[in-house]
Amino acid sequence: MASEKLNMIEQFKNLDILKVDRRTFLKAVAALGATSFVSLYGNQLTEALAAFPETKVLWLHGAECTGCSESALNGSSPEFADALSELNISLVYHETLLAQQGIFVDGKLVGNSELNGEILLKELVAAGGYILVVEGSIGNGPDGTGKINMIGTHPFKKIYEDAAKNANAIIALGTCATYGGITVTDSDVKKYCDFMGVNQTENKKGGMNAVLGINKPVINLPGCPAHPDWFFLTVAAVLLGKIDLNNLEGVLDGDGRPKVFYPPQNTLHDNCPRRGFYDRGVLDERFAEGGCLWKVGCKAPYVHADCALRKWNNGTSLCMQAGGPCIACVEPIFPNGSMPFYVERESAGVLFGVNIGTVAALAIGAAVVAAGVHAVRRVNKEK
Amino acid sequence: MVKVTVDPLTRIEGHMKVSAEVDSSGLITSAQSGGMLFRGFERMLQGKDPRDASMHVARICGVCPISHSMTATNALDDLYGVAESVPQNALAVRNFIQAANTIASHATHIYILFGPDLANPRYRDVLTGSTLSLGATGQAVWNELLGRFAPLSYKLDGKAIPVGTSYLNAIPEKKRLQEAIALFGGKMPHQAVTVAGGVTCTPGLGEITKSAAIYLKVMEFVQNYTLGVPLDTWILNTAQAKSPDAAVKFVTDHLASLISKSSGNDFSRENGWKDVEFFAAFGSELVGEKILGLPASLRLDKLGGYQDPSKISFLSYGSFYDSTKDGYNPESPTGERFLTSGVVSGNLKFEDLDTTKITESIQCAFYEDDTPSRHPYDGTTVPVSKAEQINLEAGPTEKYSWLKAPRYNGIPAEVGPLARMIVAQDPLVTGLAKAFADNGMSPANVYTRVLARMQETAILAHKIVDFLNDIDPAKKFAEPLDLRAAKEGRGMGIWEAPRGALGHWISTDKSGKTKNYQAIVPSTWNLGPRDENGIPSPVEQALVGNAISGVDNVGGADYTNPVAILHVGRSYDPCVACAIHTIDATGKNAPRDYELF
Repeated sequence: MASEKLNMIEQFKNLDILKVDRRTFLKAVAALGATSFVSLYGNQLTEALAAFPETKVLWLHGAECTGCSESALNGSSPEFADALSELNISLVYHETLLAQQGIFVDGKLVGNSELNGEILLKELVAAGGYILVVEGSIGNGPDGTGKINMIGTHPFKKIYEDAAKNANAIIALGTCATYGGITVTDSDVKKYCDFMGVNQTENKKGGMNAVLGINKPVINLPGCPAHPDWFFLTVAAVLLGKIDLNNLEGVLDGDGRPKVFYPPQNTLHDNCPRRGFYDRGVLDERFAEGGCLWKVGCKAPYVHADCALRKWNNGTSLCMQAGGPCIACVEPIFPNGSMPFYVERESAGVLFGVNIGTVAALAIGAAVVAAGVHAVRRVNKEK
Repeated sequence: MVKVTVDPLTRIEGHMKVSAEVDSSGLITSAQSGGMLFRGFERMLQGKDPRDASMHVARICGVCPISHSMTATNALDDLYGVAESVPQNALAVRNFIQAANTIASHATHIYILFGPDLANPRYRDVLTGSTLSLGATGQAVWNELLGRFAPLSYKLDGKAIPVGTSYLNAIPEKKRLQEAIALFGGKMPHQAVTVAGGVTCTPGLGEITKSAAIYLKVMEFVQNYTLGVPLDTWILNTAQAKSPDAAVKFVTDHLASLISKSSGNDFSRENGWKDVEFFAAFGSELVGEKILGLPASLRLDKLGGYQDPSKISFLSYGSFYDSTKDGYNPESPTGERFLTSGVVSGNLKFEDLDTTKITESIQCAFYEDDTPSRHPYDGTTVPVSKAEQINLEAGPTEKYSWLKAPRYNGIPAEVGPLARMIVAQDPLVTGLAKAFADNGMSPANVYTRVLARMQETAILAHKIVDFLNDIDPAKKFAEPLDLRAAKEGRGMGIWEAPRGALGHWISTDKSGKTKNYQAIVPSTWNLGPRDENGIPSPVEQALVGNAISGVDNVGGADYTNPVAILHVGRSYDPCVACAIHTIDATGKNAPRDYELF
């Protein structure tokens, strides 16, 4: 057993994790178990970065629910604390986890960075040289003031601006940070709050970085929440130089996501555990029947993410396996384009804001045939 | 008078600010609590398919997402008129995932959010400094505090401190519990299965046995780290004790026996001092110093109490359905749920829950309305129109928070594990509460709040097996809906999140779409601002009279390390993202272009 594993380690040793095709990557991860996979690279990292012993990660929380932090803590292979130590990451700032808090006496910052988080943050930002992780969207409202979200007397917008300027790279974690996500759900207060993603808001490129004139390498890791593997393996790849921050184009898709986790050529539907029911036409019209969830609103045929292979919570399950229709939480259009969640797409008329016929026309590869079939049916119906 | 402000109060969910006026003797004379982020959640649901609420509002909070989707689902069960027919299986699955989420959330609070404050340098100074001269005992207690509860990336005097053993080992257990939830819920956070009429999953024996295996694994941690007596023994002698006095006596006897074998100042886990025992003895002056005769304690029982019992009450909506039969009553009458609903006054008198007595005040919150208070079914919320009106430095008679101020019969109510345990009359927690009251102290304080959270964790860890047992894979898991039932209807969902009473209220228009959606969440109850009568919220009351540096300010008050604010604020397990969201009855959104019927 041990020697078998060693052989596999040899075999995958030179794997360039974000440049191999998805199947090889997943095969490698599955065969080795992500722990050995990461520790394998972790060892290389320790050697390679001997002169650079520690990578600082500065984690900011904007308009968020802390679900992505919770999800990171759910990391299995690598587990959260292991990943930090094996990748030699120093989590220098994280509001939910660290000891410090902002402390003011008569309006003035007091104490030192061991107790006062505001002083710590100032010191860290001044020193620079960190990877900035952003969880939650960034509020621009009302009227561009950013006062919709205040932290320690400053709008979060300003805190983000300062931290982003001195960052080596930015990881937007979760759909709120990447595209606005749940915080940009259509409503009559949407404009008032004016929440933005780091580099993109819904389908519109630019995000808060365009407002602030920030030009830094950004990697988007959407998901509600983001999968812990997407985060830790991306960080690992960056640290190992497998992702070249100065040349992200080849590794990221048009929405800034690593293609290896959000494959452009495949959809979630391809590997759905209920796919067989779809193929046989067992399309449930009620919940808890065990069949395909298409008719109760599943969006998986339009969604690019490897959930069905990776699964969630230590490979336990995923939404569709538990009978819940995919709500497209990794897509820039989430949730406006995927609501109503429980209505069959064709009945909803539009798909992610685009006419369903247009999607069919754009559909490429075998993966989207499913969507195509439905679109064709719909087009026929319309005739 | 000095103004001490903690902003942001970290190690909570969301963005919160607490400021306190402190007099020259180092005592807090008044306090203000503010929520710092507005997301506008309920407005987002207007004009949408009501069924979307359950998945959408889960995103209010990633720490307790089950509670939000569960409460929304309860409101939808009520709206569609299916509450009485939700299959037993669905009730059991909902109970199981809620119980696992509550246990995980409590563990996160105890070990990762609250615990690190026990390693605050203030306790090093008190325990090992010259003021109290506690010698080897003080040093031993400090070593345990630091060794168990130090958080990630912690430094003292420039020296990196290793992560605490309890802290570090709790993370995998939290994760494991999330895996048990994912077996039924698909994923965590933000599970996919709670829908009006039941659940979408159809777990079989595989899922049930696997979750049982996970449970046993988690219990290993509880045995090794948390509790020094077998869980069954603990429950039998506390939660199921004959009287509150008997429960308290069991615990104090148990602690006394530990003390008798710790003459060499060995307070280690190996010597029987698991985290519950350690906290129970050293957390309280009354229990530790006065009853057990220990030379020192952290005196957390002298922080976070209420001075005026007429201005506080304890509220629980009731949690965990009777999953031995189909259906449930959405009104949650007294005694129906495993942890019953009810309201207990500041003087510890019980009354039945009456949800018509709930109102929310916007007097000191950044919203506009022509009347300061409304019942949630009629709730309106219009955020102040101009940016300059968001003045976070405003005083206590102005608008200073994004949180509204909920009241029960006009009185603020504490919600959360302490309130649930008092309302459900858990013998241990009620016994302790009475012991504090008999000694002229507030029954609610930082110590009882944390101990109640530990006790509830034990109770649920004991009960959760029954919920698993109630699942019969051969029977159905969901009842179909008649969507027409939602035309011009309304529904109420009341439930208990880990942090306390959670209510959602929905009403629909004649096309069956959501017209109004209102949520009143635990942290709004606990951490809101003042109301139109100037009555402060629970946390604002609980800070008054506290010694700013804790431990009776021994050695002098230190405004730069306001331990009292940190402990009291965090003792409520704040979830501020939850607490801020608004509703507007006007329904300005254009209806979406799809047909519901």
